[in-house]
Amino acid sequence: MPFTDSEILETVRMFELETFDIRTTTLGISLLDCADPDLESAAEKVYTKIVHHGRNLVEVAGGIEADLGVPIINKRVSTTPIALVAAASASEDLVPFARAMDAAAAEIGIDYIGGYTAYVHKGFTRADEALLNSIPEALAETSRVCSSVSLATTKAGINMDATAKFAQVVLDTAKLTADEGGLGCAKLVCFSNPVEDNPFIAGAHIGIGEPETVLNVGVSGPGVVRSALARLDPEADLLAVAETIKRTAFKITRMGELVGREAARRLGTVFGIVDVSLAPTPAVGDSVADILELIGVERTGAPGTTAALALLTDAVKKGGAMASSSVGGLSGAFIPVSEDQGMIDAVAAGALSLAKLEAMTTVCSVGLDMIAVPGDTSPSTLTGLLADELAIGMVNQKTTAVRAIPVPGKGPGETHDWGGLLGTAIVQDPGAFGCEALWRRGGRIPAPLQSYRN
Amino acid sequence: MARRFLTAEDVRRLGGPRIQLDGETVVTPQAAEAAASAGIEIVGPAGAYAPPVPDRGPDAARAARTLPHLPEPSSTDGIGLVVTVVGRNRPGVLAEVTAALGAAECDVRDISQRTVGAYFHMVLTCAVPPGRDFSALKDTLQCLGGESDYVVRVMHEKVFRFMHRV
Repeated sequence: MPFTDSEILETVRMFELETFDIRTTTLGISLLDCADPDLESAAEKVYTKIVHHGRNLVEVAGGIEADLGVPIINKRVSTTPIALVAAASASEDLVPFARAMDAAAAEIGIDYIGGYTAYVHKGFTRADEALLNSIPEALAETSRVCSSVSLATTKAGINMDATAKFAQVVLDTAKLTADEGGLGCAKLVCFSNPVEDNPFIAGAHIGIGEPETVLNVGVSGPGVVRSALARLDPEADLLAVAETIKRTAFKITRMGELVGREAARRLGTVFGIVDVSLAPTPAVGDSVADILELIGVERTGAPGTTAALALLTDAVKKGGAMASSSVGGLSGAFIPVSEDQGMIDAVAAGALSLAKLEAMTTVCSVGLDMIAVPGDTSPSTLTGLLADELAIGMVNQKTTAVRAIPVPGKGPGETHDWGGLLGTAIVQDPGAFGCEALWRRGGRIPAPLQSYRN
Repeated sequence: MARRFLTAEDVRRLGGPRIQLDGETVVTPQAAEAAASAGIEIVGPAGAYAPPVPDRGPDAARAARTLPHLPEPSSTDGIGLVVTVVGRNRPGVLAEVTAALGAAECDVRDISQRTVGAYFHMVLTCAVPPGRDFSALKDTLQCLGGESDYVVRVMHEKVFRFMHRV
């Protein structure tokens, strides 16, 4: 059956006017076979393997873009957590791995590569510790490498020693990249219950259960959902809102499914997952905050915001689940504050506080994302901020993350513009009271009762 | 011994006038450099070393068998591409677009056009002959029109099939 005009125009409008795109095609490459007792040889292998497998990623994505007429914005690579690869080399300094990844990313023409990663939710290996110690230097010295650390899971609880260490890593990274407004921290994220097939930077990496190579796709489309809701009768009830979002998410995800299948076929690898995430950009209209406001809150952060976000995230998942058998990754709604113009406006208007953001993360797919905090935030306060978010993930058996950027020399309410996709941030106020005694205790917050499911 | 990589360290250790590799081994750039400067020849199973085709892993072979069997929305009977044209109306727009399609031996299966005031939008669905380079045709069509004239957008019918059919 041929298509109707309205179907065709709806699709064209999505791409032309509503900033719909395939946000990322991410090639996951296992680096487990790159382990070597000799650090230099291991780094050599890492570089070689990434280039060997990733060489035609950009070309293949470009070919699909040309053949289908669908824009694919980012081409990226995710790797095995480097701490696992580095363990055999017994080196204290793992920056050579970051350099190898950075050079490989440059060689194959991609802007970011994820996988400078360690899993320390229950404890450290020597390599994990070396990796964490080397993160500030690695992120300051390279421009494409992204780092992530797992600090908590529902099964293991929260490793508070690791959380405190990570907080110090964040502060050190900000210091080393102070002339860029602490930009290094935009490439650094910590997780509770990390997903092993996340295609989105900065948390992208592939876990140990993943294949040798795998192609994961991240779709976006807050602009499309926003427009669909704008066309909905303002008197329509919330069931109609949910249904509208669900139908739109279905259509968006179908594009991810199509591009994922095609990219995997052309690359000769496995199609992993479609991550159905509403990932905003600073472009006007490409905003999750705008969607929440169309659902009916006056400003994002007002009472009702968490409820509206819960409806949105759930409807996106349901639409996505019908559209693809391979929904994975984070899949929900991202609320990266600095990258979403509506969020920035809400913070500027005094509607959206750090506390409300934290509440919102209980029902969205990630966590405190791209949050600017004062440059002089103490390690204990930052640890507390991280731990709160990790606790939400741990107890609710969901992924949560924190990507906090202590902006050197800036205090609460001040603005910093990183430019490009990272956008503008207004420094959030973590409050006047600290948690030093909690921080000093260290140790581990044990796994919650709901993890005992066997 | 089968090896996945040949590193510079391997080259130094193995030495010799030549290093014989099997078909799977990938030589790192540093190893190639080390071998060249030491005058060591690296040889693959069929003469001089050439990088192997990337081995995407055991799942890739299975995936290659699975992918073609994944159900797709039913085909729309030979339609290859969907062309939408939006812009300022003037005589000759339809002729220009269809002439370009005709030159590429595309068969227009369906066409509709509306004008609103001085503007128009037009939708054409076309069958593209097998083997025709889609992206070249797309570039030709998208170069039609011009600033303050009209804009052509070309998309593969699969996009619409995946989005609107189950």
